[in-house]
Amino acid sequence: MKRGWITWDQSELPRAAFDGRLHATRTLLAHRDLPALVVYTDVWRSNRVRHFSNFMPYWNRALLVIPREAPPVLLCGLSPRVYPWIKSVTILEEILPSPNLPQRLLQLCAERNWTRIGAMDFTSFPYDLYSPLAGKVEDLSFSDSPDEWEISMHRQAAQMAREGLVEELPHGAGRLDHDFTGCLERKFRRAGAEDLVILLTNGRTPPAPARGEQLTDAFSVSVALEYRGHWAKIVRAVGQPGIDASGLPNPQSGAYTEALSGPYPYESGESAIFAARWETAHNGLRLFHGDTYRRYAHGAELL
Amino acid sequence: MLNHDRLSQLTTLMAERGWDLLFLYGHTWRKDFFRCLINVNFSGPHALAVLDRSGKVRAVMSDPWDAELITDCPATADFSQGVKSLASRPASIGIAGMEMMEARFVQPFPNAVSATFDVEEIRRVKTPREMERMRKAADLADRGYQHFANVIEIGMAEYELVAEVEGFLKANGAEDNFMLIASGGTEVTGMKPPTERRFRPGDSVTTELTPQVEGYWAQICRTLVFGEPNDKQRESFAIFSEAQKAAEDFVKPGVNISDVARVQNDVFRKYGYGEYTGPKYTRVRGHGLGLHCDENPYILEDVNYAVKEGMTLIAHPNTYLPLSGYMVFGDSLVVTANGCAPLNHTERKLFQK
Repeated sequence: MKRGWITWDQSELPRAAFDGRLHATRTLLAHRDLPALVVYTDVWRSNRVRHFSNFMPYWNRALLVIPREAPPVLLCGLSPRVYPWIKSVTILEEILPSPNLPQRLLQLCAERNWTRIGAMDFTSFPYDLYSPLAGKVEDLSFSDSPDEWEISMHRQAAQMAREGLVEELPHGAGRLDHDFTGCLERKFRRAGAEDLVILLTNGRTPPAPARGEQLTDAFSVSVALEYRGHWAKIVRAVGQPGIDASGLPNPQSGAYTEALSGPYPYESGESAIFAARWETAHNGLRLFHGDTYRRYAHGAELL
Repeated sequence: MLNHDRLSQLTTLMAERGWDLLFLYGHTWRKDFFRCLINVNFSGPHALAVLDRSGKVRAVMSDPWDAELITDCPATADFSQGVKSLASRPASIGIAGMEMMEARFVQPFPNAVSATFDVEEIRRVKTPREMERMRKAADLADRGYQHFANVIEIGMAEYELVAEVEGFLKANGAEDNFMLIASGGTEVTGMKPPTERRFRPGDSVTTELTPQVEGYWAQICRTLVFGEPNDKQRESFAIFSEAQKAAEDFVKPGVNISDVARVQNDVFRKYGYGEYTGPKYTRVRGHGLGLHCDENPYILEDVNYAVKEGMTLIAHPNTYLPLSGYMVFGDSLVVTANGCAPLNHTERKLFQK
């Protein structure tokens, strides 16, 4: 759950980044002769709306409406009491309280004389939002092509996770997995991580949430870390000679890949920014490895 | 891992409704329907528990690591393909969590109906094993708040405090924690995620702390003041304390949840602050707790629901008052045969540092 520090540092993610993204979307809308686009977001599936506005709900869900010829509007399930805070960490200036999201969207369409709008990844909307909007919006899918700012933010997330793990892994053996998880949580959140998913194993099972086991001399840790809305995942094993803990420059052939830059993080499959993970065997134990990469036409670059 | 009490209740429900299959869907934000039958803390984006009328269970997961963790029933790891394969034969299907399922996963089952309301109703009354977990979570909430009060200091940023509390809770067995916070004075109108704001003398610091243990969430709400509380802060806290006690004295099997809200709001009305019990200043006067940290029924004057023995909920009259700014106070409760009992044991006071 997002509960860490949600902020907007314009020195690392300038307003121009959002302006460029909105301009590209409006160009696409013009080509499709649509007056607006609606994008869904919730606590977990926040990549797309974060991309356009830097809004990341810590609770509840929302729809971002991007008109072709006006500033974006957020239809928000959260209380107006937190709108000043939302405005302070996003580009958004207009936020409409919307306890019933589809109803408020259709009302907005009527107010602005929009007869049909686009909906990004419409078939991935939650079913209770999809049903009342079906037939009234046009499903639009967008190519996943992160810009330089997005790549830079994912790189920062990956570096934070990688460097933190390199520092802490040597101190893991002999500690309870809960204790080690707490140590990582404290370290990464103090460094500015917004959300974390930490999995560990002693090599008998895949990495899993801490379950009260003492970490042995050969263990693996998976850290999924979100830094200001941008995810990275790093998997490292302790106890196998020859494994460089500071970076895994290329994913192993046949590695399992998870999307990081697509609509929703950690769907399996292809995306421009992705996590790859794989498994090796050592002294009868399973060791796990992985990192975060940017995909090229003929390969991948470690972020 | 398999909740056998629930398995029996769910197969009975299926027989009553005429469903051949019952799906219990979970995603990363809302794992609760899945975990009410298969209590595994999955980390992939989707999970589906599939129950047939004979009581056989199988799981369809997104992430191969998750599938390997499920040992009590068969599990597959390709979610899209797994869902499609379920649509290959005609069946009458109920789906718990259908509303939050992505439309593309519901579309292969055009005749499926929502089982959400029915399964939520079953989940409201906790089994003895579930109550053990609720008590563990409430105990950790108490210890977590004590840690919060111990480590907070002038000059610390809100997000640094949250990092300390998250680290403590995870080190002590929490799977997750839902936490909101606010700091400042009468200008504070609500809680939100932590910011970079640093604590100052005289600040009132509110938190809603909600650790999850073995799937189950318990919550505690307290307010802490840096320095000696002023008269208005004390007056405000007395109102919150009286309102929370009114709820706790009132809750018992059979009472309407709307009246649990009303008795709290009546305390504010008695002191001339009735307008601060509405949606402009507050959300709810409490809510259910269990496998989700914000379960139905919400404690509001316009929600009608008869309270049942074995339910777990929190009564928290949290709101803004001009006396103090936003203030919070509340404990998790379990409904007993004749009333209710607190699950938290943290001292009921306006904390000072």
